[in-house]
Amino acid sequence: MSRFNVKLIGSILGLLLVISGVGMLMAIPFSIYYKEDLFPITSSAAITLFTGLPLWLLLNKSAPRELKKRDGYLVVTLGWVVMSLFGTLPYLISGSIPNFTDAFFETMSGFTTTGASILNNIEAMPKGILLWRSLSQWIGGMGIIVLAVAILPILGIGGMQLFVAEAPGISAEKLKPRIKDTAKRLWLIYVGLTFLETVLLMFGDMPFFDALNHSLTTMATGGFSTKNNSIAFYSSPYIHYVITAFMFLAGTSFTLTYFILKRKLKKVLGNEEFIVYLVFIILATLMLTGVVHSLTDYSFEKNFRDTLFSVVSIITTTGFVVEDYTAWSPLITMAFFALLFIGGMAGSTAGGIKVVRHIVLFKNSFLEMKRQLHPNAIIPVRLNNRAIQGELTYHVLAFMMIYFLIFSIGSIIMAWVGLDFPTALSAVATSLGNVGPGIGNVSPVDNFSAIPTVGKWVLAFLMLLGRLELFTVLILFTPFFWKRE
Amino acid sequence: MKIIIAGAGDVGYHLAKLLVLEDHEIAIIDLNEAKLAHLSKHLDVVTVRGSATSFSVLEEANIANSDLFIAVTESEEANISTCIIAKHLGVKKTIARIQNTEFLVRKDKLDLYDLGIDEIISPESLAGREIKRLLREIALTDSFDFDGGKLSLIGLPINKKSPLCGKSLLEASKLDPTNSFITVALLRNNETIIPHGHDRFEANDHAYFIALPSAIDKVIMLSTREKKQGLKRVMVLGGSKVGINASKQLSKKYNVKLIELDKQKCFELADMLPNVMVIHGDARDVDLLQEEGIDETDAFIAVTGNSETNIISSLVAKDHKVKKTIALVENVDYIHLSQNIGVDTMINKKLIAANFIFRYIRKGDIINLTSIHGVDAEVLEFVIKVESKITRDTLRSLDIPNSVIVAGVIRKGEAIIPKGDFQFRPKDRAVVLCKPESIQQVEEYFS
Repeated sequence: MSRFNVKLIGSILGLLLVISGVGMLMAIPFSIYYKEDLFPITSSAAITLFTGLPLWLLLNKSAPRELKKRDGYLVVTLGWVVMSLFGTLPYLISGSIPNFTDAFFETMSGFTTTGASILNNIEAMPKGILLWRSLSQWIGGMGIIVLAVAILPILGIGGMQLFVAEAPGISAEKLKPRIKDTAKRLWLIYVGLTFLETVLLMFGDMPFFDALNHSLTTMATGGFSTKNNSIAFYSSPYIHYVITAFMFLAGTSFTLTYFILKRKLKKVLGNEEFIVYLVFIILATLMLTGVVHSLTDYSFEKNFRDTLFSVVSIITTTGFVVEDYTAWSPLITMAFFALLFIGGMAGSTAGGIKVVRHIVLFKNSFLEMKRQLHPNAIIPVRLNNRAIQGELTYHVLAFMMIYFLIFSIGSIIMAWVGLDFPTALSAVATSLGNVGPGIGNVSPVDNFSAIPTVGKWVLAFLMLLGRLELFTVLILFTPFFWKRE
Repeated sequence: MKIIIAGAGDVGYHLAKLLVLEDHEIAIIDLNEAKLAHLSKHLDVVTVRGSATSFSVLEEANIANSDLFIAVTESEEANISTCIIAKHLGVKKTIARIQNTEFLVRKDKLDLYDLGIDEIISPESLAGREIKRLLREIALTDSFDFDGGKLSLIGLPINKKSPLCGKSLLEASKLDPTNSFITVALLRNNETIIPHGHDRFEANDHAYFIALPSAIDKVIMLSTREKKQGLKRVMVLGGSKVGINASKQLSKKYNVKLIELDKQKCFELADMLPNVMVIHGDARDVDLLQEEGIDETDAFIAVTGNSETNIISSLVAKDHKVKKTIALVENVDYIHLSQNIGVDTMINKKLIAANFIFRYIRKGDIINLTSIHGVDAEVLEFVIKVESKITRDTLRSLDIPNSVIVAGVIRKGEAIIPKGDFQFRPKDRAVVLCKPESIQQVEEYFS
């Protein structure tokens, strides 16, 4: 007997490949419409499906149903890696990204909803391939929702844990007790919002193909665009505001969006994380707008819009660009660098540290002073007016420590492969936080193509780490994970 | 009135004792033969042995012809279900003792009245309310408001230095030319005295007054020679239900620290009580109490499950100059000791519950009724009617027994301390203090 449920893991990986394969099939109508070469996308889909289907169907029947915690960690990490490997096929076969490293970087950036790209001329790519590129983010976002609401809490990882286990025996934020139902409801919101955004963008005279692609990558907080200049290609304020609004929604916990739809506004207003998320965006935007306005000759509205867009884009870890924020002033550049570490709300498709962890960290640090004065007092961190168990607070602190440790080590490695200081720091921060753009040579108007091969692999790994909330991946590298019990 | 009490524990016993004095027909149901034997030896009650949830036992107690069924066993579930059964068997009214205070606050979800329970009482939340009331004024060991504070009943100790010491009531009234307070009871060596003109205040007496709000400070000055002191910091010992209830109510006004021994419990308390500082530690550890500032604490409330711990730690607190100490005790007999050993007030939640039920039953013409801790007297509040006997003549001319004091009147919203020449009019509110055995007579006059 193996210590892992190999059959079930294989079957789940097979299912994930089938989902990828079906995603690739979706690109075919576009290839036909734009009269492009059908071979790359059909053959990729065929390879992926013919690998996935037998795995899924054959192993699914005979596999024991029980998935242990260890299997969980393994299957989640392997899932993202395997999908990213097969996801390179359309790029490689079509020759639009001939280099395997680049193709893997691009796919990993897609499935982790990061949005960092190595493409120098996006507009020259076949439309079918571009759709696949956007879809990879959208599928990744879908995966994240299930992961966040259903899988990670069971494995004991992630910000949602703070809600699920905020008080003994109470899981306030779970919509319905059954995971399947919960996931379905949230997906419905996800699909619905994607559709709505597409329609709204088309009202703003964006062509259907671009509207669809941008919607797919907005809702995933991915940030892949079909234009070389990203959203800056469009001058319409309407389009900018629509995308800002949907980035904000994508960075909001999907369970919370569900409550908004159900008109349970009390729950929304009582949610501390949401209030902080909202207020932080407003304050950051207002302050930065003030600075930006003093630096440029543009109208106040344009400066406000650009700043708001950039702030929301970075905080929600989307990474769309309307204006190069590194071109304004060193202060603004620094501010945006800091924003790379915020992240959206737990339970959204946003990556990064997430607002809730910052709240816990700040409250805990503050209360630590009070604890010094009253060594015998029990002073727990309170979130949404409920006390959080001590272990969960430690978990958040550990997460932050490891996050910044990895950030430091990653930055040193990137400097070692030859990047300059701001580029190295921000490339690591943006990859780990699944944002997309950084500062220096990976600023919003640059891309990652110039980074050496080793650097690309490291960054791809960091994206995976950040996306899976560190612990899921790191635990695989510990001796006790592999020890037979 | 025919009353059936299920449960011969402390609440049941004390309640029966109060009700027997009132000439009610009492039947008590309990499983424990020894308890019932003890009860029938001391009180004039009928005892029925068996489970109160049993139909036949209830019928044996003649439930169909009874007016009131009171379930005060230790088990909340049994109390609720027996009340439901009793109601269906034909009793007119039911009262159940509960522990889960959610029944009191979540009436929108489940109103026990719909199930046939007319009144629910929770000794724990009553004790919490009682503690809050006792803390109103540090110098006072007891206080109770009538008609929203227009008149107050206050209790406080008399010591050697106090200006009142050695004076008779007549002499004392000369110190109060505006006639703003009246002495209604003296507690001397565990004996309750209803004082009259020539009775004297002695050192170590515990005196009770009915006073106009403006006179409270004067009474405090006359009795203790101390100025009124504010209350800020409260320390509560024990995260029991009473402790939680008291902390919750007190934290709205005061700075509350709650000490609990069990660490996991501490976390739950911290979760439940956001405005209270929960401290993990052993209350018997004097170093801990000092570290947490017992010396700056104004009031100390010991409500752990252990009476002895409560008493001893209250004494420790008193030793650290805490102005006010309250200890929860299980043993009813300890309560009389409180003044002697130096704990300001001892409370017993079962006694509080029994008194509450007693008042509920007594209500009718009486709009308010309270009893004083450790004092063998009841304070009643009436609204005078046209046909009330008391309106016929002045107080002096009516033959009111010596064990009764007409202590205060509220006429058209204004409080008066009545003298002998006072005559009641309809719609006046009267506050009367009497010994329990005189309640019947008082009612004859006032209703």
